[in-house]
Amino acid sequence: MAHPKDRPGITRRQLAKGAAGAVAGAGVAAGLAACENTTTPVGADTGGPTGAAAELVVPKPTGPAGLPLPRTDNSVTWAITDENKPVKDGRSQEQGPLRVYNYADYFDPTTLKKFQKQFDTKVEVATYNSADEAIAKLSSGSVAFDVIVGLSGSNVVDLIAHKLLAPLNHSYLPNLEKNIWPELADPFYDRGSRYTVPYVVWMDGIGWRNDKVKEDVAGMDVPWDIFWKAQAYRGKVGILDDRRDALSMPMQRDAMRKGVRPDLNTEDPDVVNKAQSDLSALSPICNPKVTITDYQTLPEGKTVLHHSWSGDVLAAAFYYLPKGTKPDVLSFWRPEQNGVVQNDFLCVGRSTSRPVLAHAFLNFYLDEKNAYDNFVNFNGYTPPQKNLDAETLIKQGLIPKTLEQTIIPPDLFAANQELLQLSVEGERVWDDAWSKFKAG
Amino acid sequence: MGSRWTWRLVALPGVVWLSVFFLAAFYAVLAVAFGNQDTLSQPVPHWNPLDWNVGYVLDMLDNFTSGGPFWTVSLRTVEFVAIAVALSLLIGYPVAYFTARHAGRWKGAILLALILPLWINYLMRMLAWINLLAPDGIGSDVLHSTGIEWLFLQVGLLDEPGGWLNGQPITVILALLYGYLPFFILPLFVAIDRIDGRQLDAARDLGASPASAFFRVTLPLSMPGILAGAVLIALPMFGDYYTADLVSASTQTNMIGNQIDEFMRQGSEKVTGAALTLLLSVFLLALMFYYLRTTRRAGTTAQTT
Repeated sequence: MAHPKDRPGITRRQLAKGAAGAVAGAGVAAGLAACENTTTPVGADTGGPTGAAAELVVPKPTGPAGLPLPRTDNSVTWAITDENKPVKDGRSQEQGPLRVYNYADYFDPTTLKKFQKQFDTKVEVATYNSADEAIAKLSSGSVAFDVIVGLSGSNVVDLIAHKLLAPLNHSYLPNLEKNIWPELADPFYDRGSRYTVPYVVWMDGIGWRNDKVKEDVAGMDVPWDIFWKAQAYRGKVGILDDRRDALSMPMQRDAMRKGVRPDLNTEDPDVVNKAQSDLSALSPICNPKVTITDYQTLPEGKTVLHHSWSGDVLAAAFYYLPKGTKPDVLSFWRPEQNGVVQNDFLCVGRSTSRPVLAHAFLNFYLDEKNAYDNFVNFNGYTPPQKNLDAETLIKQGLIPKTLEQTIIPPDLFAANQELLQLSVEGERVWDDAWSKFKAG
Repeated sequence: MGSRWTWRLVALPGVVWLSVFFLAAFYAVLAVAFGNQDTLSQPVPHWNPLDWNVGYVLDMLDNFTSGGPFWTVSLRTVEFVAIAVALSLLIGYPVAYFTARHAGRWKGAILLALILPLWINYLMRMLAWINLLAPDGIGSDVLHSTGIEWLFLQVGLLDEPGGWLNGQPITVILALLYGYLPFFILPLFVAIDRIDGRQLDAARDLGASPASAFFRVTLPLSMPGILAGAVLIALPMFGDYYTADLVSASTQTNMIGNQIDEFMRQGSEKVTGAALTLLLSVFLLALMFYYLRTTRRAGTTAQTT
């Protein structure tokens, strides 16, 4: 696996070190096989020392450590290995404290307190700022957690390749099948929910202040165009500070204009670079900020038009509006199809010494009432619960009509695309384009 | 003999500290920048210099050539830092001069006032500015009613009234200036304070006007202080990323530190990030050597004259 940037060093020695790099991951890469919609578990250390990446029959790029990249047409069952088995049935709950790793501001404090009371344990939440930071810290072994929250399909291969998760025992998770959308109770990226259960679902869209933005954004032929017509809102426009979300936005716009289905997990440099130049073209038009603080800046009016995650705009309405500002000044639009849909995971950490308590925590958040409270009291991100629907919430007056689209119903999940982990080369294509955009 | 060892022992903690937290850390950056990455996109440092892989660093150098993706952001960084340092001189010199020469018994109080803001964390002070400079913030109001905003609008440094936080380069420069100014004034104050008053008396006795005495005696003698202050603030400014991030977050005000942050914090290109860190360090090292040479020369000139 010669690296494109691997060139002979100052000694002009022929470097086998590029291959040495691959060796570091070879322990995990050994003995893998995958085929279309395999149900054969992969990711196990079953084979010999020779690399198995070559044996892969899938004509698709492979992910980190030679593991397959889950796609809707290439579902993956991750192997459960002898040295990392799920906790046995019927054990009793361990002593706390339960150590949880999560994004900041991603749990409703009241719901979290309820768990602590109900299970008579303390919960210690440590936070991270980005998925990459979480993966890096977890795989360095410098932190150990019982429960890991907030990572998604764009990291799923990393989580397996780095062996960061403990497999789940569903006998402790009755709420999974009972309450969760069928598509997410047995998802293509983790058939049989062996390592992950879904926490919340969201889509990428446009959040705006309808008292400040004159255009009927949702009524436009291609609403994404608003960013390229935002001269009037110069300096008060925001783009998500996330390379995958941000670069896929102009891709969606292009596809929507042409009426085609984009591949938002493309590794084609031409497509990604075109997206980068489209995004860079925004600077002279509206000089966008590149942030993920829209849940504060939109309600405060520091930005008026933002490329947003659905949940953040709803959380803005729930929690961050200044006194005297009504929630219906906030609007949200998202595409019906060919957009970005994502879901975050609840997982049990590999190094947990409290597996039963950790499972109880997962099951607690899969509970209808708890998921609902966590959602409407604070979080704003839709839990994939069967019995939750937007109309009821609007009727109850909990959500203004302008924010109806922040709720993600199950049928939208299939019509849109998850941003999934790319091959190592593919990630680099996106990273290079992103750093070019960021350099302004 | 014994005392020589005592002094060496006294120096030991500092030497250990520097070796561990500077030299070893810096060597780690080298090993990563000249290393490779594995199939998990994690850096694989090459500790042995004979194994160094120059691919990433050469690639990064390419990025800095005219027209390369980092050309603009590097120019911007140099520009921001140069302007911020120049403004520090313009504002800081009179303050240091006044404090050293004319503050009298207020000297201590003024110095304290200079240091006092540093009791509050840099980030907190920047976050405070975000609220002050928001369209409805007090700072914005003051700038508006004093006509300063009008002035900035006239010369085109501000896009629209109240738009201080709309990704304006001037806001980033002023924030840098605000954040680092005390570090410029303090060494400068020391330099001016140390100037022997009798030299000025001599200049005046020999018929120099106050202005001429300042330009021919005080200013040259305070040069080491100016340089020290400039280096002290320029070095961290070159690596600064959170200031631009907090008061602007636009790609049009991103500095080279933001690029490093981008590579290190997210994505699959940590090695590239290390290569960039290395290049920035080399650049700063060059600046540092220039400073050391200049001050040494200034020292020898002072002795010979």
